[in-house]
Amino acid sequence: MAFNAYDSTLAPGADEPQIHIREITDDVLDFVLSNTDLSVANSLRRAMIAEVPTIAIDIVQIESNTSVLADEFLAHRLGMIPLQSINADRMKYTRDCSCIQACENCTVELTLNVKCTEDRTLEVTSRDLMSSDPKVLPVLSDPDDQGILIVKLRKGQEIKVNCLAKKGVAKEHAKWSPVSAIGFEYDPHNRLRHTHLWVEEDPAIEWPLSHNAVEEPSDAAYDYKAEPNRFYFRVETVGSLPPEQVFTGAVRVLQDKLGTMQIKLKEDDEPENNGFNAMGDPQDGIFNSQDGWNNF
Amino acid sequence: MAQAENGATGVTADGLEVSTEKVEILPGASTDLTAMTFAIHNEDHTLGNALRHCIMQNPDVEFCGYSVPHPSLQKIHLRIQTLTTTTALDALNKGLSDLYGMCEHMLTEFEDVMRNGDYQIVDDDEATATTS
Repeated sequence: MAFNAYDSTLAPGADEPQIHIREITDDVLDFVLSNTDLSVANSLRRAMIAEVPTIAIDIVQIESNTSVLADEFLAHRLGMIPLQSINADRMKYTRDCSCIQACENCTVELTLNVKCTEDRTLEVTSRDLMSSDPKVLPVLSDPDDQGILIVKLRKGQEIKVNCLAKKGVAKEHAKWSPVSAIGFEYDPHNRLRHTHLWVEEDPAIEWPLSHNAVEEPSDAAYDYKAEPNRFYFRVETVGSLPPEQVFTGAVRVLQDKLGTMQIKLKEDDEPENNGFNAMGDPQDGIFNSQDGWNNF
Repeated sequence: MAQAENGATGVTADGLEVSTEKVEILPGASTDLTAMTFAIHNEDHTLGNALRHCIMQNPDVEFCGYSVPHPSLQKIHLRIQTLTTTTALDALNKGLSDLYGMCEHMLTEFEDVMRNGDYQIVDDDEATATTS
């Protein structure tokens, strides 16, 4: 047991989280996480929504825009288009890159150059975007997908724009989120009384059970000590990453956070142990030193 | 001296003084090292709550709690109080490695389930055909 050696009375593995996958499609992952705490399940949910890096259009240079949409409106619409982001792992964030604004290590260039010459409405879609990287293309759900409508042009109107797609995370802007939504539920029968159900007469009639309810017994008496234990996830992606990669990516993000903290704590601790500190006391550097708490 | 040693500070364009350290120990820690409040920068509930839970599993830990002191400050405060058998810093380190291990376990568990094909694959086209 790597993570809990506190209770030796537990059988080996009794305190380890378990995962049961109920359904996988191209853009949905439905699984049950059990034998863990609500806080851990929620961290996973939050990490999947906001911290898994993807690629999205971030900078739009507009050469010509005679469409009915304003430049900034168009730029915003372009930003929201999901791009295939399998390569995001190998890309750098521009802030970590040695270039000033854009280079092939941190940026993918997409161009959109469409003019309507016929006497009818031309629909400009994400299919018209030309990418400099064949692995970073606008997401299409199948070969017949018409793409995402960006703007409609009438005769004589044109748009000519140059887009720079960057790697990012959704805590900066939601366009980088790999998921459109995550269904998250625990205790479908409300046995823990975490929810107060507003009722007129009978909650059993007025509050239909969720489809997760079949997974748990409903009859148990109220136990005030009980803790949530089974968590029902339904991860629905936008197509930029396959759902199983969203899961693994999120867990790795959490591990990264923990890893950097461990390293930083060790770095703080080590110089003293190596005798670099003239004070000589290994505990000194941990604190703001002796005078640190006197002025508190 | 104390500041420079533990909490290197920088100044943003707005003139705000910010710490460039990832983890800081806030003033007011007990002399026997059993009680400390850590400021963890650029973290939020995603790390804070799970870490708090892992640290609380430790029987040597008397109290552990965290807060986001202000929604526009990108940091959390993590308070740990332990029995005299350990120190708050050790408890934090133990919590970090426990949660890391738990993540590692979730990853291997997930990959095992995926490899064994222990799940239902739903064909998108069929699914839409049945619902429509």
